[in-house]
Amino acid sequence: MKKVKIIAGVTWALAGMILIIILFPFLNSFSSSVAKLPFMKINANYSGGAAASEIIAEGCTIVVRKPVFDGLIGERKNGFVQVDWRGNVAEKMSDSIDYDLDGAPDFLVQVDRSSIKTLLVPLNPMVTDLKTSTQTSYGWAVRVGIKK
Amino acid sequence: MDKVLTDAGMKKSFGKALLYTLPMLLITFMFISGGRPDFSNPATSLAMMITFLLVNVLYFMMHYSGKTDQYRAILFIIFAISLSFTLISNMIATRNSMSFSQADILECKIPFCHLVIPMMILPAAFTQSIIFPGSIIGGFASIAPMIVLWLVATLVLGRGFCSWGCFYGGWDDGFSRVRKKRTITRINEIWKWMPFAVLILVSLTAALTLLPTYCSWICPFKAVTEFEKVTSVESAAKAGVFVSLFAGFVVVLPVMTRKRTQCSFLCPLGAVNTLSNKVTPFTVKIDKTACNECFKCVQACPLFAISRDNIRKGEVSVFCSKCGKCVDTCPNNAIHYGIKGVPAGTMKYFSRNLFLFVSFLFIAVFSAGSIINSLNSFLKLFF
Amino acid sequence: MTESLILGLSSGSACLATCGMVMFPYLMAGSAGVKRIATDLSLFLFTRLLVYTILATVSWFFGQAVFGNSVVRNVVPGILYIVFAVMLVWYAISNNRIRECPAKIVTTVNNKKLVPVFLGVVNSIGFCPALLIILTNGATQGSLVQSYLSFLAFFIGSSVWFLPLPLAGKIRKKEVLKTIGILATGLAGIIFMIKGITNLIGGLIYG
Repeated sequence: MKKVKIIAGVTWALAGMILIIILFPFLNSFSSSVAKLPFMKINANYSGGAAASEIIAEGCTIVVRKPVFDGLIGERKNGFVQVDWRGNVAEKMSDSIDYDLDGAPDFLVQVDRSSIKTLLVPLNPMVTDLKTSTQTSYGWAVRVGIKK
Repeated sequence: MDKVLTDAGMKKSFGKALLYTLPMLLITFMFISGGRPDFSNPATSLAMMITFLLVNVLYFMMHYSGKTDQYRAILFIIFAISLSFTLISNMIATRNSMSFSQADILECKIPFCHLVIPMMILPAAFTQSIIFPGSIIGGFASIAPMIVLWLVATLVLGRGFCSWGCFYGGWDDGFSRVRKKRTITRINEIWKWMPFAVLILVSLTAALTLLPTYCSWICPFKAVTEFEKVTSVESAAKAGVFVSLFAGFVVVLPVMTRKRTQCSFLCPLGAVNTLSNKVTPFTVKIDKTACNECFKCVQACPLFAISRDNIRKGEVSVFCSKCGKCVDTCPNNAIHYGIKGVPAGTMKYFSRNLFLFVSFLFIAVFSAGSIINSLNSFLKLFF
Repeated sequence: MTESLILGLSSGSACLATCGMVMFPYLMAGSAGVKRIATDLSLFLFTRLLVYTILATVSWFFGQAVFGNSVVRNVVPGILYIVFAVMLVWYAISNNRIRECPAKIVTTVNNKKLVPVFLGVVNSIGFCPALLIILTNGATQGSLVQSYLSFLAFFIGSSVWFLPLPLAGKIRKKEVLKTIGILATGLAGIIFMIKGITNLIGGLIYG
């Protein structure tokens, strides 16, 4: 029994050694496999949600994403909607956004990129406040708080 | 059966130590250079050579001197400093600031650190997603590779990750060595359970708020990496917490106690790694026949992993990070690296050699990138 | 609801450890088995839920009359969080944790079958700072339903700690779990302290 334990322990330790040796050369491969696991995607509260609609205007594309209300279990009552301006973004932007795709604009966003001032005008009582308005590598992004 | 140890303990002759270093020389050369060393850039080439020499000289000295901890600590501390240096210089070069911007969060460009892992588990189970604004794969410190690195290291080394892998541990390890004598000598061992309390709280709050609360509110290492810009009362409070905790748990307390207080009292990942000590094949054993109960190891241990009870039982506790300090301190060579299943006092050389190879290989390759980057930045001033 | 749940989780550990010392012997009275203890515990928890429902109703109507001012809405919870935090930290560092539990009054109840009910009433109004905070939370909710949900979350958070009671005799390493619970409570106190100060300063500056 003592000998079996020793052999098992040493085998286990040697297996550990092999694992460490192959870890770095195969890191990309292991990482790719892990990245395919179902939970390996960024939570919508951080990624901003999937794109819902696109509006092409004056050389730039306005991407309106799906509203995000994700909670731990089910949905929260307060969430946000992210709007991206991509491409040739103008110095001053003023756009009406319809996030619930009912044909009626829900809020108006006016951005002055030079002074980094953003004005949010809610047109729908579900729109609460401006969460974030920032320059990004692709243009500009705004997150607007909304309620369910 | 091991030979009877002489006063030399685990020391090897010069030739034997060199022989044991040979595999490390070959493997680190392959892994650091990628198999194709490029000497076109003098600064980068020199940085790589210095790093290569550094890690292998340290490994050689571990075998030649028979001591582990002091050489491990050199690399561990250099790793921590070089990583912070790399991160900070990169941030200042790209953003002119140590604070991350809203754009970085929105675009999920925040580098991932393994300390987030405990907080991700419950949300990942419920929401099937990761509550961190980073990239899953590709880019610097993306999520998937960091998880793989931590998972493999922790399965093999257990809490050894905290002394042979964590790129923050070198900070409080370093400060714990500043003074030769402790100013605070009596510390209630109840505090070593604090990381579990932190783990429970941050896991629950992260799950409920879908926010990595340790990173958001507690992590002391925000003071030496990146943090949220101070634009409100809340962000000012956070900055205050980060700086205070760094000053207290990473600098002042380690200096005064000669213990790694951040790792022992705060880190929730340390609590998780403590649990993984149950699955690792490596351990530290106490040969009761050789032990004279001087308890120098109890004083030396930086993580409260040995107590008088442990010595009487002949094994260290689950808090052991296998740093080697107790092994080096013991005047009778009664404490040694061991393998589970192998009785204490037997196969000491084999166990030590195998453990050192595995753990040092991990830290050498893991740390090489940031050490080379830091040296490269420094050397570019001259080239 | 999240905040109420966290509040319940934070207060529940201290409440259990304090009043648990009194309640547990009564729950164990007569060498009852796990099933009997579970029944008594269910009655105890149901009574707590009933009391919290009543408190949710009272607090919401009270809040409609009092918490109109936004400064009050921020400053009052801020102060209460600080008081609650001090109590949690004091509990964690105190050497004598078996405090005067209001549940001790249970010794005066003659009918032992009513003990879980009596304990439920006393326990649910016993731990004052957390209760004051949850009363304030309930008072500031947008609707009565939200006030009920807030109290429900608090009830769930605080009740979680009582669930292992029937099995307490079988749990090993109780001392370690108790130590971790005490440390977690103290830590929660520090977190609430920071939250309270932030609320207070935010309320005073921004109104």
